[in-house]
Amino acid sequence: MSGRSFMITHAKSIYGSVPLIGWLVGMLLAVLTESFFGNTLAYALYLPKVPALFGLTIVLKQPSLFPATVFYVLLIYCLPIFAVAGLTATWANRFAAAMEKLPLWFSAIIHIGVLYLVLHLWTDLSDYRLQISKLTMIAVMLTLSINVINGYMGEFSCSHPGFMALGAYASSTFSLALFHQDRLFGTPLLPEFLGPYMFPMGLLLGGAAASLGAMVVAIPSFRTRGDYLAIISLAFMFIVKSVLENLEVVGGARGMGGQPHWATLPAVFIGMTVCIGVINNFVNSTMGKALNAVRDNEAAAEAMTVNTRRTKMTAFMFGAFWAGVAGGFYAHELRYINPSSFGIQMLAEILAMVYFGGLNSVVGSVVGALSIQMLSEALRPLELFKWIIIPLLLILVMIFRPTGLIAFREFNIRKTFGPKVLKKRI
Amino acid sequence: MGKIRAVSVAILVFLFACYFVSCGKEREARIKIGINAPITGDIPKVGEGTKYAAQMWLEEIEKAGGLQVGDKKYKVELVVEDNESKAESAVKANTKMIAEDGVLVIIGPQSSKQAIPAGGVANDYKTPMISPWSTNPDTTKNRPFVFRGCFLDPFQGPVVANFVKEEFGFKKAAVLYDVASDYPKGLAEYFKKAWEGLNGPGSVVAYESFTTKDTDFSSQLTKIKGSGAEFLFAPQYYNEVALIVRQARELGFTAPILGSDSWGSAETVKLCGSDCYGLFFSTHYAAAGAKGATKEFIVRYQEKYGYVPDDVGALTWDALRLAQHAIRNTGSLSGDLAKDRQAVRDQLARVKDFEGITGKMSFTEEGDPVKCAVIVRISNKGEFEFYKQVCP
Repeated sequence: MSGRSFMITHAKSIYGSVPLIGWLVGMLLAVLTESFFGNTLAYALYLPKVPALFGLTIVLKQPSLFPATVFYVLLIYCLPIFAVAGLTATWANRFAAAMEKLPLWFSAIIHIGVLYLVLHLWTDLSDYRLQISKLTMIAVMLTLSINVINGYMGEFSCSHPGFMALGAYASSTFSLALFHQDRLFGTPLLPEFLGPYMFPMGLLLGGAAASLGAMVVAIPSFRTRGDYLAIISLAFMFIVKSVLENLEVVGGARGMGGQPHWATLPAVFIGMTVCIGVINNFVNSTMGKALNAVRDNEAAAEAMTVNTRRTKMTAFMFGAFWAGVAGGFYAHELRYINPSSFGIQMLAEILAMVYFGGLNSVVGSVVGALSIQMLSEALRPLELFKWIIIPLLLILVMIFRPTGLIAFREFNIRKTFGPKVLKKRI
Repeated sequence: MGKIRAVSVAILVFLFACYFVSCGKEREARIKIGINAPITGDIPKVGEGTKYAAQMWLEEIEKAGGLQVGDKKYKVELVVEDNESKAESAVKANTKMIAEDGVLVIIGPQSSKQAIPAGGVANDYKTPMISPWSTNPDTTKNRPFVFRGCFLDPFQGPVVANFVKEEFGFKKAAVLYDVASDYPKGLAEYFKKAWEGLNGPGSVVAYESFTTKDTDFSSQLTKIKGSGAEFLFAPQYYNEVALIVRQARELGFTAPILGSDSWGSAETVKLCGSDCYGLFFSTHYAAAGAKGATKEFIVRYQEKYGYVPDDVGALTWDALRLAQHAIRNTGSLSGDLAKDRQAVRDQLARVKDFEGITGKMSFTEEGDPVKCAVIVRISNKGEFEFYKQVCP
């Protein structure tokens, strides 16, 4: 056996058996190291600051700093993560095995809790990281919600920006009219301190508004399939945009600003995890399986007693609901919305994320949203060329993996959290 | 095992090399100025103008050996970020410049769509920001750290109305505007209010609208022609101006057509041709027949980039000069960013009678400048000729 392949199998045998909790603890140690020694190390390496996104933003802007950034990333992130994950694999496996016997929600809370801690510590060092993380999580929600329709249901829907706009406007109206002083609605009806607690209500309201919109599209359009639905849903997007442009109550073309900054890291994080959990459960439920059956062959599904019309309606409204919730977060993060932001450009971005990541896959949506968001941050200094590179990448993905990077993969939560069996050493 | 050792040694050598490559860089105090511009997206020409003006400004500073603050000369660095003409990206870019690059002042974003949310970020992090071109009142409202370089629509609307009244003595006006776009819509409303204030209710005989990206205005223009209006006010962007003017002339509407500062792009005349000759619009500065510092700026810009700068370029230049002025007036920089940003903000708020190339300006409490508007006539050679100045 040659040295290289020996090393690879060796690494595989060690790291293939690390359960998720092991990686998470490794990451926790990495971010802890960073929060204690990050600044010192960055100073010693002559970096202007702690690299914000693993040096992604520096690479193209100041290439001379790149080697130092690589050094930093290796030392601060890679070393602790791999060391901890490798060394604690046995204990982590035992811990994971013990947790497997307990109810699922318990281990879910532990995993998610550690993940949140990692994220919290990591974003604590830089407000830019915080902003990017929040917007990425919102993008994850959006991508997942469109995956329900375009992936699991197999229809090509173009109305997602419209749903998002409905959600954003509904939840903004809720928080501005009830809790926050502003130009459009004047004095709030309720005291402001109640606001953050009522924010989930506002999000639900946004989601409900989007669902209602979805129902309006669904009733006429589900008599048709394929291209026709795409066209009707595209029309719906433009209708929403025009209506909002002409509605002076919500600011018209001037837009709506001054939303309170309630989309904090914990809020968005909770929103995203709930979204992932609920959507994952939905697509793995009988309804989700029926949805796949409808996609693959509607007549056969009908023959197998699936109520196709109801299934499609539910899925469409369900997808729209989460788009509305994401819209609510988006509005409270940017704190300004106007109708023209929810146009064709937004649609292109959402579609890019879902098709890049992979259809019919929860993990794929997360990967798609994350990679497109990070790519667009990293490539921003290229200006015009960014808009050549990202579409080119998409084309390549479409050629080599026509359904996206990680498509048609089931996301089994229990298995993900569980212990990894030590594979036999070759 | 030999290979493993070789690989580990290679990695170690690489890491040390990394370290030494980054050694020997000086750590010196620099002033960083952030530029948040729409370099890609819907309005790349605006982004280009912003970038060029900023580069020209930097060159001038470098020629002087840096920016003199008190008794120290600081090197200046521009941090240019592309906001893709999207609100989300403008916010990200602002956060990055404030948190990562540590800029002292931000210039931009240009359109209100990006300037409003980005201004919120700048204000939250207590970083002074000057938007050269944004006309929406919300950009600076209740935001002590946000300023702008141009006059607002509530001022520009009456300027055009008064000018028409004085110049032509007309009584009946028509307005054609884009209902889906923030700027034309706002301006159309302010104009209507001002005109009706001058001539009594009902004096705006046609108030027609269309939606962004419409290209056929014949039905609206037919209505306007039939209404007996003596002139048409069309506060539109250059691409629509050409279409509106040409279609109006084809329909036989021969009365004057007036515009606003969005006409002030070199593209207007290029697209519109001789149809636009002799028309008037209100704007920030007139390129043809400019004098003094304004002329100097135009000549240098034209030499360098090959075309006469738009108002965006001129306003960006003024915004940068304002920032420079404020930084210099702080007397000295402490090196503590938060303190310096506060000091620059205080100096900006104190600006009085600043001589910009787009006119003299002083800031109000809201961070909006009080400055004069210029009425420009498009000459028979297609140049923007100074016609009249209207001051508040």
